[in-house]
This record gives sequence, structure tokens and C-alpha cells, in this order.
Amino acid sequence: MTRCSCCNSTARHCFVESTRFTGYFVAGLLVLICLGCSTHSKRVLQPRNFFYDGQLQACRESLEKLAKSNRHDRDVVNLDLAVVDLLAGQPKQAESKLREVRDRFDHLEQDSLAEKTVSMWTDDQVRSYAGEDYEKILIRVFLSLSSLMQDGMDAESYTLQIQDKHEQLAQAFAQRNGKEASEYRALPLGFYMRGMLREATHRDYDDAIRNYEVASNFLPNCEPLLWDLSRARNGVHSQPGHGVLYVFAMVGRGPYKIEVAEQPTSDALLIADRIVSAVGPYKLPPTVAPIKIPDIAVPSSDVDCVGIRVDGNAVGPTVSLANIEELAVTTYRANRNSVIARAVARRVIKKATVAAAKSGMGKDSGWAGIGMDLAGIAWEATEAADTRCWGLLPRDIQVLRVEVPAGDHQLQLSPLLGNRTVGAAQAAPIRIIDGQNTYAICWFPDARSVSQVMCSNWSDKR
Amino acid sequence: MLTLAGVVGCRGYQYGHVVKPEAANMVGSHEAGAEVFDPLVQEAVAKLLARQQISTEDCPIGPNGVPMKKTVCFVGIENKSAEDIGDFKDKLYKEIDSQILESNTFVSISKRMVDAALHETRMRPDALMLPDNMQLFTAVLQRGGAPVDYLLYATLTSGTTKRNSSTQRDYDLTLELTNVHTGQYDTVSSEVRKGYHKTAAGKFWNYNPLKR
Repeated sequence: MTRCSCCNSTARHCFVESTRFTGYFVAGLLVLICLGCSTHSKRVLQPRNFFYDGQLQACRESLEKLAKSNRHDRDVVNLDLAVVDLLAGQPKQAESKLREVRDRFDHLEQDSLAEKTVSMWTDDQVRSYAGEDYEKILIRVFLSLSSLMQDGMDAESYTLQIQDKHEQLAQAFAQRNGKEASEYRALPLGFYMRGMLREATHRDYDDAIRNYEVASNFLPNCEPLLWDLSRARNGVHSQPGHGVLYVFAMVGRGPYKIEVAEQPTSDALLIADRIVSAVGPYKLPPTVAPIKIPDIAVPSSDVDCVGIRVDGNAVGPTVSLANIEELAVTTYRANRNSVIARAVARRVIKKATVAAAKSGMGKDSGWAGIGMDLAGIAWEATEAADTRCWGLLPRDIQVLRVEVPAGDHQLQLSPLLGNRTVGAAQAAPIRIIDGQNTYAICWFPDARSVSQVMCSNWSDKR
Repeated sequence: MLTLAGVVGCRGYQYGHVVKPEAANMVGSHEAGAEVFDPLVQEAVAKLLARQQISTEDCPIGPNGVPMKKTVCFVGIENKSAEDIGDFKDKLYKEIDSQILESNTFVSISKRMVDAALHETRMRPDALMLPDNMQLFTAVLQRGGAPVDYLLYATLTSGTTKRNSSTQRDYDLTLELTNVHTGQYDTVSSEVRKGYHKTAAGKFWNYNPLKR
């Protein structure tokens, strides 16, 4: 009887065993493959199109379906849903969703070794998404806006949380990069909003100055910020008989992540080598085929800012206080090498796993070996990049402050490109209260899209 | 191995507990907190009340023969220190206000009334010390049924000393009490010094008895 050279059993027995082993291996791989077939950017394509077409209800239904069907997408989908709620005039629901995600992201800031290990056998999509730094700040900014659109009760707390989060992120940045925390570049909008609310107390001008100064340091050439600073230092919130209107304009379509094939850089290979050496007795091959990683896509925009008119009188254009596009690109570049390194390490570990399984079957693995090679190729090929992100963000958040006599007025908002009106204007009635702030939020994704306008009149309910 | 990884590498929960009143405050590692502000307020207010109690003889006598309490309008706190005090500002206001109210020396005007007067006059708190502004402001309060004898103004300042990787910050709280009738003022202040270090040995290295 012919004996198998690897396990000393009969050849027939060895063939049956190896076939069964291959079956288990391929089945296991299929499970892992299924986990990483599609990407978030593909899944969210339809709701995003609905949103920019102004079909908020269809967008909400589509996102809700997605949140139910995909556990790992739930947090970022909830962020998108919060934006839809806010613009659909449901700030309470928006606030509730944002608070939930804020707490989840805070919890997920801790590393999970289990998730890290599993992601080495599948892809980065199985890791819980804890949000990018700018998203963590923006969650709190949107929480403040949601609160201001209602009764403004928690708006001050949220602006304090913006500062708190900024401090935490700056400390983490300093530890990670060995730099000073003061070098951390953040969103000036959070500080501006804190200053705006403190100035409205008519008492805490010192807090307003402090916050406007920080915002102004981030944007030294922003003239309206210097006016705000000057007013907080020497002037008053508003003249008697006047109130203040703040228009928060969301301009353009925001950045989102897409999947691309990338050649590993030498820096990334160095990090990957460390990961691979830590995981087991593997070595990094001298060359690695292109790998799939997320990249930032920034849609082109034909809207620069929003022109504001009150009762037909031109007031001026909005100015940028949160360039989300720039922040998303900067954040992505800072983390890019780590993402590539993880993908390279994953590739090596997968190859090593297939090789180890084959060597366990012996030299005469035959068809089983070929099957295993094919399964291994499929395992690598179906790996997908982690493209999760807060997709329904604008490219830019801009603000305009104007002092208006108390009473009822007509607000008119027009999308501008280089001081030229490029789309249909939106109008909304507003009520200005003596000595108080009134807020309006609008979104102009592009010149063609249907824009949304929402005004607060919470102060007259007090 | 995966199970072990799961047990070792799971995310933790967050826990909370109620701090007993007699327990010492937590000491902030990067900036001032309750450990600085609590003693600052207690000391400054105690000094102010002690000094003002001596001069109660100047108070007008009420219909029942007892000296009438002075009415004080606590305008606000100005933070001029190097740190952002965040949510402590309103807490400090409440603490100073309630300690003054508990004393037998003063009657304090409600913060809401002060806010309404600031809103109506559109005056900055730091502009109230000018005689004309002071008169206008107190007239608005008087019209609202709250005559004022004194304006109280609190200022938080700090001074920073650096030595390599260690920093000492001196926090001062100054209470300034101005008589709106005579223009005379009284000032008291309290101080708490605090050291910040990058290493655990920093405290011993900079503050040991042999160091001079």
C-alpha cells in the first residue's frame, strides 16, 4: 500500500483529509471575504445623491435602512442622519443622534486588541470607527447648532465640550508626534461659537475676547474675526433696540473617502515590517503588489460663499471659519502611512497563512493546493479599504454676523461664485429680538442643488 | 490566542462615584480646578466680609432700630489669568454671591436683575466704574426696585514662573467693592500657588527644603 510521505497514513486517507481541510479553509475564507466585499462609500452613494437632490425623506429612509443592515456603518450613518434631521427642521432628533455618536466615539477611542487582531485577517472595516479628529470637533459644533435651533439650553455646554475635546486632541497630537500641543491645528469655528455665546451674555466679554483671539490665531487674515475681536474688546454686543443675526452657511459638497489601489511607500513598508515582526515569525517580502487603501475625494464646487440680504439690503458674503476640505486632506495625509502599513502587514499575514496551511498538507497537495492558492488570491482580492467617514458634511462652514433692528425681517440668501450669484436665492422670515442672538442655518451644496434654510426664534420663547 | 486577545484588549467602561464632602479635591494636572478656586473664593470673601463688618456703624438704622444691610450688586468676574476657566466661571459667581448673601453684612441683588440692567443699558461690566455709567446703571436697578449701595467686581489673575520643565503659577482673586454713593472702594485679594511638573520628581526637585 502506498504511504503518504508527510503524515505516514495511507495515500487515500491523506487525500480525504486534505480535501476536508481545504473545504474548511475555503469556507472560513468565504466568511472572511464576505465581511469585506463592499465599501461604505459605495453603500452610501444613493442616500448621498438623494440628499443633494433635496429629497430629504428618501435620503433618511435609505440611510435608516443602511444603519439597520450594516452594524459597522451605524455610527457614521447616524451622523449623516443627524444632518438630514437638522436641515429637515428636526433639531431635537439631530441632537439626540449626535449625542449618541459622540459618546460612542469617546468610548471607541480606546484600542481594542481583539478588533486589531481580527482586522489583520479581514480588513480595516471590521475595526470600530472612532472618527477622525475633525469629525469629533464637528459633532460638538453640530450639537451646539442643534441646540441653538431649539431653546439653546445646552449650547454653552457643547461649546465647552468643543474646547475640552480640542485640548484632548492637542495633547494626543503632542504625545504622538513629539511636538508642542500648541502646534495642533484645529477648527476655529468651535472657539468662535463659544465667543459668540459669551458675548451675548452682555457680561462675559473677557471670555469672548479669549475665544475670538484663539479663532483669530488660526485665521490671522480673516477680517470679520478681527472686527469681532475689536468689538469684544471695546464695544458692546449690540446697540439698544438692535439684535444680532448669525447666519451659518454650509457651502459646497464635503470631502469623503473612496477606495484606491496604492503602491506602498518606503515609510509604510518600514511600519508594516514592525507590525509583521510583532505578529509572528514572518518577514516582509522585498516587493508588495498594490494594496487597497482609502483616499479623500473632494467634489468640485461652483459656490464660494453665500450672499446675505436683509429686507432687500445687501449685508455681505459669509466667511469661512471651518475649512473641512483642508482638514480632511491634512488628517488623511498624517495617517496615510499607518493605513498603508496595516494593509501591507495584512497582505503578508494572509500569504503566510495560506503558505502555512499548504505546508501542513504536505508536498503532494495537488488540486487541494491549487484550490488553496486560488482561495488565497480571492481572500486578498476581496479585501476592501475602510472608507467610513461623515459623508454629509459641507466643504466649508461659513458665518456672517450682522446687527439688525429688533422686529420681523426678511432674510435672503444667494449662492455666490466670485461675487456673482450662481443659483436661486432662498428667502426666510426671521424675528430679531432686542439684545439677543438669532441664528439661521443654510446649506448650498452647489449652484443647482436645492438648498435648505432654517431659522431659530428660540429667544422669543423664553 | 484570539480569546486571550479578546479578554486582554477589550475596551473598558467608564465609572463614576460621589465624592464625600470631607474628601480632598482632585488636583488638576494641567490647569487650575476646584483645588485652587475653592480656597481662593473662601479666603477673599472672608476677608471682604471681615473688613466690611467693622464699618457697619456707618449703616443707616432701619425702622426697627437695627442697622440696615448694605445692598451689593455683584457685576461679574473677569478672567485675566493665563488659563481658560471654562465652566468654573459661573460656578465662581454663584459661590461668591451665595457666600455674600449668607453673611449678615450684605443683601445681594439677583443675577437676573443685574443681567437685565446690563442688557438694557448695553454697558460693559468694565465700564461701570466710570461715574456717569455707574449712575445710569444704578438708576436702572433702582427703577426695577433694587437700590444699590455697592458694586462688587471680581478679577482672576495669574503669574507664571518657569524653570526648565516645571512651572509655578500663582492664582489671585481680587474683589473690588465700590460705594456708589461716595465712590470709595475697598479691595481684598487671595492667592493660591500651584506647581506643574513634567515628571513625578519635579515637585521634590523644585520645592524641597534645601532649595533656596
